[in-house]
Amino acid sequence: MVNKINVKKLSCYYNKKCVLNSLSINVVKNEILSVIGPANSGKTTFLRTLNRMSDLEVLFSRAGEVFLDEENIFDMNMQFLRRRVGMLFAMPIPLPMSIYDNIVYAPKRLGLINKKTDIDALVEQSLKDASLWDDVKDRLHTSAMRMSGGQQQRLCIARILAINPEVILFDEPCSGLDPISTAKVEESMLELKKKYTIVLVTNNVKQASRVSDKTAFFLMGKLIEVDKTDTLFISPKEKQTEYYITGRFG
Amino acid sequence: MMKLSPKLSQKLSYMLLFIATMLAIIPVLIIIFLIIKNGYSAINWKFLTSMPEDGMRAGGIFPAIIGTFAIVMCAIVITLPVGVCAAIYLNEYAKDNFLTRLIKLAIVNLAGVPSVVYGLFGLGIFVMFLKLGVSIIAGALTLSIMELPVIITTARGALNSVPQSFREVSLSLGVSRWQTIRHIVLPNALSGILTGTILSIARISGETAPILFTAAAFYVPRLPDSIFDQVMALPYHLYIISTQIPNMPKNIIYGTALVLMMMVLTMSFVAIFARIYFRKRRKW
Repeated sequence: MVNKINVKKLSCYYNKKCVLNSLSINVVKNEILSVIGPANSGKTTFLRTLNRMSDLEVLFSRAGEVFLDEENIFDMNMQFLRRRVGMLFAMPIPLPMSIYDNIVYAPKRLGLINKKTDIDALVEQSLKDASLWDDVKDRLHTSAMRMSGGQQQRLCIARILAINPEVILFDEPCSGLDPISTAKVEESMLELKKKYTIVLVTNNVKQASRVSDKTAFFLMGKLIEVDKTDTLFISPKEKQTEYYITGRFG
Repeated sequence: MMKLSPKLSQKLSYMLLFIATMLAIIPVLIIIFLIIKNGYSAINWKFLTSMPEDGMRAGGIFPAIIGTFAIVMCAIVITLPVGVCAAIYLNEYAKDNFLTRLIKLAIVNLAGVPSVVYGLFGLGIFVMFLKLGVSIIAGALTLSIMELPVIITTARGALNSVPQSFREVSLSLGVSRWQTIRHIVLPNALSGILTGTILSIARISGETAPILFTAAAFYVPRLPDSIFDQVMALPYHLYIISTQIPNMPKNIIYGTALVLMMMVLTMSFVAIFARIYFRKRRKW
């Protein structure tokens, strides 16, 4: 049980308005932590702070600390942090280039690979790990924009795997996908946690119960409860949690 | 007051709007028609490729074509890199604060300054203060300053049309901001920048006032050797032959206007077709 991410009293503000209030939480290495909660509960802000994407926004400000392997991420170089903490967005966003180029885009820019054979091997491995290889191996050089939504999202996973991060953040990765594509993404998440640490933000309570080791419930910018997924879903300590997971909220 | 029936008011407003549209189009069509009707007889290969003769009453307009071409090309070579870099800075790097907003506002308003003011500015700064003399380079610099706000505005539009999400994805993969701009934003904004540039070329080709004091000459018996020579230019040449020279054959005046108009129109059409072509090829 090694803590990969250690969040200490993290508060976030948009335009001075508090969206995350003094949050402290741990993410254990090679586990999936899912974050559930209604809209405006601060879960996406939490996720976007973990790789400092939120720091790009003008009105955003924060207080507190987040440690990645004992190192404060707010002292780290942003680009280097994002290389270690990859992020999958809610909507699949392939870059406007071929499938092949989508995978090699970041590794090339970061100078991770040079040789043509290495690049080919990396593309194949990343696509296999994202269980997309068999679908696209014959059309690697066609535009990624022409794939189906589920394939695009798996391509985005492959693209993250290609830079070999330590943590992967999933921001409602299945909100635009059909049930079969969702199942495939969930399958790959379970496969991925063997190598990576995963934080999953989801609006789908069932998805949290299916894939995660631990579940955290956020409400109005506050962490209400975090526990082993089984415990939280069977016997939540807080009334609010119970109401939310049983769908009686609001 | 008498109230119109809905049917009648519908008809009246339709007529009004239709007439307004016609008023906008008809003068342009008449101008084009008149210039072609009176000018086409002057157009031939010799007219386009030989020097003026007989106090410009005969011969060709070759030096004016070359002069305009030289000034405009120099101007674009100067404006484009500066304009695109400024647009990148304003769009991708500058923080949204009071100063940035002031700069953006100034750029929009600079586009509305009368061109003769730029001409006088160019005369003061480039011709006299920097001692470049009346020359291609002085005219090109003046046109550059005039066109810079337009290039910056169109380039910013092109950069803005690249979805924000592409930038986010690229940054989230640990790629630096400049690499994101260089490899994601610029390649996808290039088509917009290109069409904007062609339209700018078309626009400044026809400008007279900025080159009046800075680059254009009444008559130069030879072609320019360097960018420090003064040249004849089509718009200025047209002004001279239509007002300053007695007994000017009418078809040469109209012919010159036709050449200038065709140059501008051709470039506008190239820009339109380029835009259609790139829009079809766009991948998102």
